[in-house]
This record gives sequence, C-alpha cells and structure tokens, in this order.
Amino acid sequence: MADDRKKLSMTLGESLRQQGVSRRGFLKYCAATASMMALPPNMVPAVAQALEKARRPSVIWLSFQECTGCTESLTRSHSPSVENLIFDHISLDYHHTLQVASGDAAEAAREAAMHENEGKYIVVVDGSIPLANPGYSAIAGISNLQMLEETVAGAAAVVAVGSCAAFGGLPHANPNPTGAVSVGEIIKDKPVVNVSGCPPIPTVITGVLAHFLTFGSLPELDALGRPMVFFGQSIHDRCYRRPFYDKGLFAETFDDEGARKGWCLFRLGCKGPMTYNACATAKWNQGTSWPVESGHGCLGCSEPDFWDAGGFYNALSIPDSDLTRKTGYVVGAGVALGAAAGALNRSTRAKAAAKHETVTIDDLDKKS
Amino acid sequence: MSEATLERGMNAFREQMNAPVASFFSSCVNCGMCAEACLFYTETGDPKYTPIHKLEPLRRVWEQEYTLWGRLKSMLGLSEPVTNELLEEWETLIYDGCTLCGRCSMVCPVGNDISYMIRRAREGFVAAGYAPEGIKGASRRAVTIGSPMGVKFPALAAQIKHVEADTGLTIPVDVEGADYMALLSSMEIMNFPEYLEALAKIFKQAGVTWTISSEAFEATNSGIQIGSSDIARELVNRVVVAAEKLKVKYVISPECGHAYTAIRWEGPNLIGRPYEFKVVHILELLDELRSAGRLKTEGTEDDRLTFHDPCQIVRKGGVLEPPRNLLKMIATNFVDMNDSREMNWCCGGGGGVSANERAEELRLKTFKRKKTQLDELNVDTLVTACANCRLIIEEGLEEYRMEMPVVGLTEMIAEHLVEDEK
Repeated sequence: MADDRKKLSMTLGESLRQQGVSRRGFLKYCAATASMMALPPNMVPAVAQALEKARRPSVIWLSFQECTGCTESLTRSHSPSVENLIFDHISLDYHHTLQVASGDAAEAAREAAMHENEGKYIVVVDGSIPLANPGYSAIAGISNLQMLEETVAGAAAVVAVGSCAAFGGLPHANPNPTGAVSVGEIIKDKPVVNVSGCPPIPTVITGVLAHFLTFGSLPELDALGRPMVFFGQSIHDRCYRRPFYDKGLFAETFDDEGARKGWCLFRLGCKGPMTYNACATAKWNQGTSWPVESGHGCLGCSEPDFWDAGGFYNALSIPDSDLTRKTGYVVGAGVALGAAAGALNRSTRAKAAAKHETVTIDDLDKKS
Repeated sequence: MSEATLERGMNAFREQMNAPVASFFSSCVNCGMCAEACLFYTETGDPKYTPIHKLEPLRRVWEQEYTLWGRLKSMLGLSEPVTNELLEEWETLIYDGCTLCGRCSMVCPVGNDISYMIRRAREGFVAAGYAPEGIKGASRRAVTIGSPMGVKFPALAAQIKHVEADTGLTIPVDVEGADYMALLSSMEIMNFPEYLEALAKIFKQAGVTWTISSEAFEATNSGIQIGSSDIARELVNRVVVAAEKLKVKYVISPECGHAYTAIRWEGPNLIGRPYEFKVVHILELLDELRSAGRLKTEGTEDDRLTFHDPCQIVRKGGVLEPPRNLLKMIATNFVDMNDSREMNWCCGGGGGVSANERAEELRLKTFKRKKTQLDELNVDTLVTACANCRLIIEEGLEEYRMEMPVVGLTEMIAEHLVEDEK
C-alpha cells in the first residue's frame, strides 16, 4: 500500500525509469507522439519535459453497452510497449474489466477517486447508453445514464472511446432496440473527445491522453468531435494502394489477379474514401499491418452509423448497373437521333433540289 | 418568261445546305476574328462587314429549318423569317461588300470556309432576284454574246491580226490536236492585248503547240460571280465542249483570278464529271517550262518591284511559288509585301465587285489597304497575274494619285525572252 502511494506521487519520468525504460526509449516515444500529433519537431523536448514532469492523472473508465473490444485493443495489442507503460502510469482508478475490486468495493473506489480528484480527473467511456429502459444495462444497480451523469459531474473532460461511446455504434444500429445514444448526446456541459473506431487504434487512445498530460488541454477536434491529428485525413488519401485507384486498377474479386497484385479494393466495398482515421499510417498490432494491407477493404468503423451504411462489400459509388451497356444504349440512341435528324435535313435539301427551277438570264429580275 | 421570287430564293438556300455549310454554321463561335481579316471591315470599320454576319439570311434558313431548336423556335413564332426586305438589305453586303477573296476562311479558328458559304448564299440571292444590276448585265452578255464585256470573236480576230502583224508570229486558231488550248479574259482582249502577244512569243520559244478556240475563248465566268450554278455550268460547258472537240491535253487559264476558280475547281462539279483534259494556270505552265529549261530569258528588271498575289490564283488556287520563281529569273530587286502569298489582301474588285458599278465608292475606299501595303514597300513597279486585279489597281492608283506601272507577269517574262534567230 505504501509502495502504491509512492508510485502515485512519482512523476511519469521517474516511474518510467523505474520500469527500466531508458531515457533514449522515452525520447523516442515523445518524438513518435509529437509526429503522430503533427506537432513540429521542436516540440519534442516540450513533450518530453511535460511528460517527464506530469503527475499521473486519475482516470475513471466506465463501460456501458459495449463488447470490451476497445479495452482489448488497448491492453493487448501493444504489449509490452511504451504506450502500455504510459498507460500504467495514469492512475486507472476504476475499470470493470481490469480492476481487482468488485461489488461495493469497486463502486467505493470510483467514488473515492471522484472526490479526491474533483474537477481534475478524466472519464473514459466505452459503450453506448440505453435510454429506452434503464434496466437494459445497469452496474451495481445503477443505470448507465445515472452513473455517467454522476461521474462526469466533477470531471475535467470526457473521452468517448470506441464508436459505441462516440456515435452509438452497434447498439445504436437500426432498429436500435435499447434506444442507445452516444456520450455526446447526453453530456453537453463538458468537453467530450470522440475517439471512434471499432475498436479505436490504441496509439490514438494513448495519444489523446498524452496530449492532455503534455498540454493540460484537449487536442483540436473535427466536426464530429474527433482529434484532428488522427482523424484529419481519410483512409483513402493516405492509403498505400491509392496509386492503383488513380490508375483505375481495381481488384474485382478477392481472389483475382488484381487482388493478388494488391490493387485498389474500392470495387470490393472499401469505405476508405469516406472514412477518417489513422489506420493507414499508424497501423495495427505494433505497426504490423492494417485491414487494407491484409487484403480487405475498410469497413468505415470510425464513422457514425457505419453499421447501417449499406453492405460492407458494396462499392461506394459504382453504378448499380452495367455502365458499358448503358453507355452503349445512350450512344446508340444519339447516333439514331443524329441519323434521323440528318435524314430529315437531307430530305429537306433533296426536296428543295427537286423543286429547283433552272436560273437563266431571263429570270434574274424580280417583277414588281 | 419566269421570274425571280422569294420562294425560289428560299428553295435555293435550302438546296445549298450541305454538310459543310451546316457544320460551319454550327461550329461558329461568334469570335469575330473574320472581321479583322476582311478589308471591307478594316477599311470602313463598320461591323456589318464582318464576314460571318454577311451570311445572316442563309444562317436563318439553317437555324429555322435544319436545327431542332430553330424549328421549335419558328413553330412558336420566336424567330425572324427571311423576307424580301432582309435580302434587299443584305444584297449590298453579299455582293458589294465581299470579293470572295477567302482571307476570312484562313483565319477562322474553327476552320469555317466563309467565302465558300458566301458563294453558296449568292445562289439564293440571285434566285430571289437580289443581284446587282452590273453583274446581271455581265451575265446576260456572257450567255448571249459569249463574253461579259460583249466581246465577240471578230473582235478577238482583229486583235490576233494586230499581234501577228506586230510580231510576225502565227496565232493558231481552232487547231485540232494541239497540246494546249489558251483561254483569254475579255479584259485581256480589250485592255491588255500584250498578254496574247506574250503567249505567242513564249510558246514559240518553248516549242509548245497551242491553239485558241473560236467557239470558246472566253475564260471568265459571270455565273460564278453572280452565284448561279446554272449559268456558271452553261459557261463552263462551252469551254469543255470546245476543248474536247479540239482534243487538247491542257486548257490554260489566263491571268484572271475567278476564271481559274471556275474552270479548275468549280467546273467539274458543275458539269458533274471529270474533264478529258487538264487545267493549268499560265503561271504554273511557265514555271514548268522554266524548270524544264525551255524558258530562256536575258536582261533584268532593276526597278524595285513587288508582286500582288491574286486571291483566286494564290490563296484559293495554291499557285504560291511559281510567280516568285519566274520573277527571280528577271528581277534583281524583288520584294514581297507584308501579308503576301496566301494571306495577301485583295485588290478590292474580285468576286464580281468590279462589274458592279454601284460598289465603286466602297471599292475605292477598300483600296486603301493595298495602298498602305504599297506605301510600306516604296516600290517602282507592281507585277500581278490577274487582268481584273490589274485594272482595279490601276484605277485605285489613279484615285489616290500614285504613279506606278502595273504589269502582267507573263508579258514581263515575254519581254525578256532570248531572241531566237531561227
């Protein structure tokens, strides 16, 4: 317990070194974080300095209507990594899945963290909130809505992790039996950062927290409340298969030559052009790969209502019928119309020629 | 006796609406570049002389009867019809204000052959009775007498006699089986008999067998100028019949612009079959004799001189270099005008304008363009190869009090022929 206290009072830098992370390793992480957040290189020392000195903020993690995929993403994929260690060094005071305590003790820990860090703690939410009937999802007899409102009341900021918390996600999908809504639809008086994705990229989750630790503020957000640095560009614009799209080279099936040659997956339903996320650059599983690289189109999971946005294998804007044939018909109709007009004009001319009366020198004058 | 009516004119307009005309009208972008190429616009500054604007009556027929929108518009009564008043107004644009020189066709950015369309539009005007009196008279004389200037064969025979007396050479008439049959323009017969003399001398030296036909010596074709294919066909046919009767291999078009267009380009289309002979322009023939070494000259012209390119021969006929090759044989101080060859400016009297007395004032006004070209060069002598250009330029020079001899190229060559003792 005393050890725990000590750990609580340590700065991030001290804590990292105690864990055996070298200064060099730490700076590398800072540089990577700065570049990922599109900060200029001269901000790296500032990031390092801020992180070095940062006190571990209290984080309360609330899980509502969710599948725990977001937590899996965060805890599994990059282990062991610097990000993971950083995560170790926030004070994760409440997390259903990860905490040891259960029942009343667990709820007491949450309340304690809230009171001790009043106005300073961060609430991370994964999962949507059912409004149709509070009974659809409750924890320790407390409805999700009630728990969210209570917990957020004294928070500095809310991070909605995953598409369920950010946009309603899967529970919100038509016909939405539980009346699920996103965090942002309930919380209007606190800053809410949406880290969407199903699940979101772990680096993006830690990146947002690192930004908060470094600058004491939340990153710049896009129109959907997502951090611009990670969600500013579409998958399509950063995709390494983009040159094939530009050349018009598409895989038509998952096992054709185009697919084997790594051509664009647009016609196989890739939602990259309308999806804003960092997958194409940050990648998954410690930068091993990402969906498009493994041969499957983007599902668009970081966009609102992606579940209801048509079939995953329907191309975004391919004509729903045979374009070549249609063009053929139109061209044919055009040719026929042109020929008809030509024939009509020719017959007008031929009629005029038939009516031609030879002009002689005797009829150059007009009789008045 | 039949008469010209608006109905016949409209019918003629409809007949002229072939694929080139229709596509030219539909591709016109109204850029107005043809205006700057037209001496009637540049010398008057009046936008009504913009070449494509001169085609308004024909354009209306095309729009109202050959396009979908135009048909709809005229069904709804939204378009202005072609009327007698319109044709009367446009008559002065299409006859007095155009020499069919074709310079506008050269500059059109979409490639419209505007002078081709004007030539066709005249078919409608003449059928509707809107042609200038002067050209009507010339056409009547051409058909009835055989020459627009009323020259009959006895007049030519008299000139032949003179030339034979002067030179001691024989001018062959109606010689069957000669290689060449020479045509003359009545202007050459009456005003410039030197041309006939030059032919006799040159052909003697070069050993060319030639003849003149007493039945068809007239090269000019008023039908082309007034814009009536029917009349033009009748006139061309006379030459074709005579040439084929004499079994000549070639017909020589004289130093006359539109005569060359008529016999060389329009003729076979008018009669609807290829000729049994070939047509050459006298300059082409002379250049051929030159390159074959059959044309020997001596002495040089040392005056500063320039060459006026006749539109129909140079721009429309493509005879660009022969006159220059020939001039190089005898002229030491030859200069080209600015805008020479295919971009030369018209003398102002082509396309029937010279036969149209009404147009004289306008024609002399447009001559300022040629005057400017000549003033820039400061030349002593002007050489040309079209009797009509020559006469028009002489009148223009007189009007603007410029002293400068105007000489036909053929006769200038003839003057420098090596005198053969044999």
